Amino acid sequence: MAVQPESSAEEIQRLRRCINDLVSVLGLPATWAGSEPSRIVGDLLAALLNMLSLDFVYARLRDPADTDLELVRTASEWEPKPRAQTISEILKPWLGSDTQNWLHPVRSTFKGREMSVVPLQLGVQGEMGIVIAGSKRDDFPQQTERLILSVAANQAAIGLQEANLLSSQRRLASDLDRQVAQRTSELAATNEQLRKEIAERKSVEERLRKEETELKRSEAHKAAILNSSLDCIVATDHEGCITEFNPAAERTFGYNKQDVVGKHLADVLIPPSLREKHCAGFARYLATGKSQVLGRRIEMTALCADGREIPVEIAITRILQDGPPSFTGYLRDITERKRNEDALLETHAKLARSEERWRSVFENSAIGVALTDLNGRFIAANPVFQKMLGYTEPELKQFSFIDITVEEDRNLNWVLIKELLEGKRRQFQIEKQYRRKNGSTVWVRNSVSVVPGTEQLPGFLMALSEDVTERRIAEEALNETRSELAHMARVTTLSTLTASIAHEVNQPLSGIVTNASTCLRMLDANPPNVEGARETARRTIRDGNRASEVITRLRALFSKKNATFEVFDLNEAAKEVVALSVSELQRNRVILQSNLAADLPSVLGDRIQIQQVILNLIRNGSDAMSIVDDRPRELLIKTECDEGGGVRLSVKDLGVGIDSEIEEKLFETFYTTKGDGMGIGLSVSRSIVERHQGRLWAIRNEGPGATFIFCIPSSTNT
Amino acid sequence: MKSRNGGGTIHRPLVAVVDDDESVRESLPDLLGEFGFGAGVFASAEEFLASNSVSQTKCLVLDIAMPGMTGLDLQQELKVRGHKIPIVFITAQKDETVRKRALEGGAVGVLLKPFSDTALLKALNAALGLD
Repeated sequence: MAVQPESSAEEIQRLRRCINDLVSVLGLPATWAGSEPSRIVGDLLAALLNMLSLDFVYARLRDPADTDLELVRTASEWEPKPRAQTISEILKPWLGSDTQNWLHPVRSTFKGREMSVVPLQLGVQGEMGIVIAGSKRDDFPQQTERLILSVAANQAAIGLQEANLLSSQRRLASDLDRQVAQRTSELAATNEQLRKEIAERKSVEERLRKEETELKRSEAHKAAILNSSLDCIVATDHEGCITEFNPAAERTFGYNKQDVVGKHLADVLIPPSLREKHCAGFARYLATGKSQVLGRRIEMTALCADGREIPVEIAITRILQDGPPSFTGYLRDITERKRNEDALLETHAKLARSEERWRSVFENSAIGVALTDLNGRFIAANPVFQKMLGYTEPELKQFSFIDITVEEDRNLNWVLIKELLEGKRRQFQIEKQYRRKNGSTVWVRNSVSVVPGTEQLPGFLMALSEDVTERRIAEEALNETRSELAHMARVTTLSTLTASIAHEVNQPLSGIVTNASTCLRMLDANPPNVEGARETARRTIRDGNRASEVITRLRALFSKKNATFEVFDLNEAAKEVVALSVSELQRNRVILQSNLAADLPSVLGDRIQIQQVILNLIRNGSDAMSIVDDRPRELLIKTECDEGGGVRLSVKDLGVGIDSEIEEKLFETFYTTKGDGMGIGLSVSRSIVERHQGRLWAIRNEGPGATFIFCIPSSTNT
Repeated sequence: MKSRNGGGTIHRPLVAVVDDDESVRESLPDLLGEFGFGAGVFASAEEFLASNSVSQTKCLVLDIAMPGMTGLDLQQELKVRGHKIPIVFITAQKDETVRKRALEGGAVGVLLKPFSDTALLKALNAALGLD
């Protein structure tokens, strides 16, 4: 802007510019619409600095609530740009400290140069603030510049006022909004609260209603239970007075409900003998809360209206409720059950006793007892059996009895078991050997039977097992002795025979020797007696043949040592024996008579053994008559056919006979009535006859003496 | 009594043979005849006692084991009857007890059958006091 308006054209130019500036300033508020005061003032300061070529322009906006807003714009040559406060400090000495009084233009020196400052109040009383424009020009402010400044200040005030208004409106609206929002949220909260309260109320009502229904139902239920329960239900209050007494209780105890309600339980149902105890227990519970009966099922005795005392089972519960406790007792008459229980107990006890008894028999039996299943596997074995085998019961259970039976006894054992299981026999006996755990064997005599199965118990086999090892050993020893005895008997018989045979042989030998000697003497005579010599030689030959026969018989006796079965004629055998015995019998002055059946069938057997029997019987009969002097010593040997198809030989003597006392002992080994006898003859004879499927026995004669008879099958009948 | 040598031998001393065995009874008389004795044979002691030869018998050849009366019985019986006939026992059985009893009873000898002719002759000679 020109400093001096020299010409009218300049003036016009200047004015035109002024008018342009004014229009610009007047148009400023339009651009400020809705803007902040700082922006309005900033725009104003920039416009004034530019329009009026100012060195600086400063504004201070009052803010009653806050510190004042200071702004400054400076000409471009101002370097560095001063801060607004700096300008404010510079201006204070010039304009006074009270900015309200900054009303007049002031000329002062600023940094060594003259500077004019023009204050312009914003608002009517400057209540909105102040704008100070400064310029080094001397003519500042010219009239146009004053106009522009005042219009600008006015326009700024309007803009600021509008801005303030707008801001105030905005604040109000915001306040309103906030208040509305706050109120709204308050209302919402209240509403929610209400809603909740309503819901709660509803729920409470619902619950109450439900509880009521429940209670009603419960009551109905309770009544139904009380009335229909098979158990007696008796309720009492905390003092023990009856409050409830259901129909079952009425039936069981014989009281009417109306008669007992209100009465003390102890006086109604507790027998007098137990009342004291009951009351003490009840009192203790009330005092200490401790009870021996509460919540448990116990058995006790209850009193009935008619004075009977019955066993009952009772469970007492405490009813949970406020205030003093009350109780419900559930009682059941257990008379019947007790009776059943007692009967059951008795049955059990009987069973147990029986079981115990059998167990005891099993455990203490002197012989072994073993039970097996039908396959023979051990189920149980008593101590004797275990000891006998050397196995424990658990060990035995791993075996079948066949496993511990020795190989050679297994087949027979199985056959018998099969017959048992097939029902062909009820039981069987077997003597066999078991193999012990230690490998040794034991002889047992087993009686085995099958115990049929029942619904509860499958069938099983029972073996009563007796250790007969010792007996077997004794028997074997006895058998050995027997055969030794038989041998001895044979030898003894033979030596006796030898003696008589020697006699038999020596007789003809004697004749031979005598005849031969005579013969020689006759031939040696002068003249020789040839006729006599021939006769004696003939007799020598005859006696030689006799001797030969005897020797043949003798050889037969010695050569046949083992039993040889052959078909032979018993009569012939008997005749030989008679021939052998005759001289001995003669010595004993025994007259032997024979009565041999002509049509006797032949027999099968050991000829020599049978002859030994015959010889034994003959010697026996002869011996029996050795002390007989008052009657002839007659011996009758007789053969005949037996009714059973066999052949019978008897030797009858007239001896001392048989005492009935010794009759049974006659055939026992070593039994003898003879002082010098060994007592083996008859027992050996009997065993020989029995080996021939025959039998040997003795009978007392009608008169004196005895008859010994044996009978053996004929060869066609064997 | 059976006499094998007939009546022509009366001067010969009579020897009686008592034995139940026939072969002895058959053979011995011939041998005794060869020895120069007369011989009588009897099958049993009873038969001998019942005969009338007892008193004439100078020697008895007697079997021990016989049915009925044995040789030893006969020895006793003769003693009882007062006949002192020397006896030569013959037996087929070797039995010391019997032999002992026989000798105690006064027997001249006990010959075990079979015996030799010389043993018999020796015994007979001893019995008859001829040696």
